[in-house]
Amino acid sequence: MFHTKCPIVDSKRTIPRKIVDLAIEYINQNKMKKMNLIWIEACGCAGNIISLLNGEDPDVIYFLNKMVNMTYNNSLMAQEGEKAFEKFLETLDTEFILVVEGAVSTKDNGLYNVIARYKGRLITGMKAVDMAGKKANYVLAVGSCASYGGPSAARPNPSLSKSVYDFLDREVIRVPGCPSHPQWIIGTIAHIISFGKPTLDQENRPILFYGITIHDRCPRRSYFDKEIFATKLGEKECMFKLGCRGPVTKTECPIRRWNDSINWPIGDNTPCIGCARNGFPDAMEPFIRY
Amino acid sequence: MGDKIIINPLTRISGFLEIEVNIENHVVVDAKSSGMLFRGFEKMLEGRPPLDAIYFTERICGICSTAHSIASALALENALKVVPNENDSMIRDMIHGCEFLQNHLRHFYQYTFPDYVKGPQINPLYQESYGDYRLPKEINEKLSKHYIESIKYSRKAHKMLAILGGKAPHNHGVFVGGVTVNMDASIFIELKSILASIKDFIKNIMIEDVYIISKYYSDYFHNGKGYGNFMSYGVFDNYYNAPFIYVKPAILINNQRYPFDENKISENIYNAWYKGDKVDILPEEGYVEPDIHKENAYSFIKAPRYNGYPMEVGPLARVWISGDYTRGVSTMDRTIARALEAEKICNTIENLLIKIRLDPTKQEKYPIPDQAYGIGLKGTTRGALGHWLFIENKKIKRYTIITPTTWNVSPTDSNGIKGVVEKALMGTYIQDIKNPVEIGRIVRSFDPCVSCATHITSDKYDHVRIRVV
Repeated sequence: MFHTKCPIVDSKRTIPRKIVDLAIEYINQNKMKKMNLIWIEACGCAGNIISLLNGEDPDVIYFLNKMVNMTYNNSLMAQEGEKAFEKFLETLDTEFILVVEGAVSTKDNGLYNVIARYKGRLITGMKAVDMAGKKANYVLAVGSCASYGGPSAARPNPSLSKSVYDFLDREVIRVPGCPSHPQWIIGTIAHIISFGKPTLDQENRPILFYGITIHDRCPRRSYFDKEIFATKLGEKECMFKLGCRGPVTKTECPIRRWNDSINWPIGDNTPCIGCARNGFPDAMEPFIRY
Repeated sequence: MGDKIIINPLTRISGFLEIEVNIENHVVVDAKSSGMLFRGFEKMLEGRPPLDAIYFTERICGICSTAHSIASALALENALKVVPNENDSMIRDMIHGCEFLQNHLRHFYQYTFPDYVKGPQINPLYQESYGDYRLPKEINEKLSKHYIESIKYSRKAHKMLAILGGKAPHNHGVFVGGVTVNMDASIFIELKSILASIKDFIKNIMIEDVYIISKYYSDYFHNGKGYGNFMSYGVFDNYYNAPFIYVKPAILINNQRYPFDENKISENIYNAWYKGDKVDILPEEGYVEPDIHKENAYSFIKAPRYNGYPMEVGPLARVWISGDYTRGVSTMDRTIARALEAEKICNTIENLLIKIRLDPTKQEKYPIPDQAYGIGLKGTTRGALGHWLFIENKKIKRYTIITPTTWNVSPTDSNGIKGVVEKALMGTYIQDIKNPVEIGRIVRSFDPCVSCATHITSDKYDHVRIRVV
């Protein structure tokens, strides 16, 4: 197992590329069957599937070709209407991974988020998450809305949105972030299909990706230690006094970074707003403290 | 007795849309479009710190979050009386341009292609059971490879966005006063290099692909027309965009050009699930409570109207207003316009890269006034996006957002005037009622984003034969 060592030492060198490679090798050697995967976009912005399309090495085609058999997703699937939803229903009687992005909207029995109509009946996001959640081998709450409620449940929570974690009475792996990073999603799934469930922390996040605070590995840490602080956005020093949430947010953003590892919010001279953390956005405000 | 066809989910869009049409003798005689998602962002924004609106409103939409950051920053700058300097404005235009490229590539290849091209044999991108695929085998194979290849380029467009904006989706770099990135030579050359590869793909592959599709599906030049009334809030139209100034704010009604006047915008809630003591609501009047039990209503998308007219917004509207394209108004023209616009945006960014200086950002600390009002209007990937902001006691008092998809996918208003997509579906000839491919193709040509338009529907069907597909 890769996560037995200190995640700092282990991080980018080994994860998730190495895990992904092994999973694919197993699949190619027929030691493992490609597992079905349902990706429900529930009450959210569909930003996590867009983030998945940003995946590089493995990219989304590699992911769909070699790692999983995605049977249902609103943004990508060729089919539409009832035929599309039938793919969802067919998958329920198989071994499958359920990915949910977006929160579960519970107001008026879920009618504020309808994802399909089947045999004349409206299928709410709530109903679909319940149906698939009961049967899935693994459930991943991808993004901060699915993991913690996130922006969809921001006060006063007009759609009475709940996290998938709170809504389902079963184990849910949280892969938060707003959006989640493509390599956190693919890496977690790679771990599941080759080694089973990854080691999770107390909040059920894979410690591979969520083990250490941003602050602990921040390239601006030396400024903090010397108490040299930025006074406005665009400056190069520590942004702690501008409200940076790096000290309370556990992700590997400083190392993984975003979009082909090219940059990240702190690299763009703006504070971390704690988008991967429980309580985002309400408890993270103000995002910019002037 | 006619047939009623309901498509839900209308996949390959952002968010959830139900389309319902009544058909008599193969012709659509009535059409309804219903948004299926409501989150209430306008309500959530009340009481929040004004500067947080930029990052907060981005979360409305995963595919066009940058659009919201730009409209929100503009509304705040209007309220706070901040004017970004020229260099920072140019960089912000580049960030916005990167989103256009990402969005147009993904809409064309990932969302539109599967309607016309048999996809790569990868689940769930591919389906066997669909009828009307017309491309010869070799051509289909070539285009199917482009589906896969395109993913690299839309990813690179987001990479450019992240170089300037920190990350994508949901960037951090667009802020009041401009941007937060400090330009340097390595950023400059990296952008130039990535842009060259994206431009090469769009110019030599995407444009050809769209014309190949239009050749084999030429009947789609004859449906999906809508009203042909167009609106633009203006985009890439600053003096520094010369000689590639794109499109100014303007209105085109019955081919007559009018100056744009923001005071002519109102939202009609007659058929939308909202409570109100009147049917026409002005943007500055703010949030209205949803009411799922309202009779006759069938969508939580409100019906914005300009001087009473439903207006089409988006790439086709822009190229008509700018005069770049006047071939026609149809499903296929809309799809071609989007591809042509993608090429145009490459030139826009290229031009900005020539003009940009390697200056540090001019960010300031922005004091929040006790009271202020600001409007941010901008042409974005899907069309005209507006943010209206009221500040009171240094907090957001009211916030109104009218998105492009609200314009395009609105319900019928209290005067009986249909929304643009509804109108575009009317009169459509449906070849095979069991397999009504025409509907999805027409609706997708508008690139609807229901995540942005935030709505809901009900469950009342008690007449005619219902055929759910």
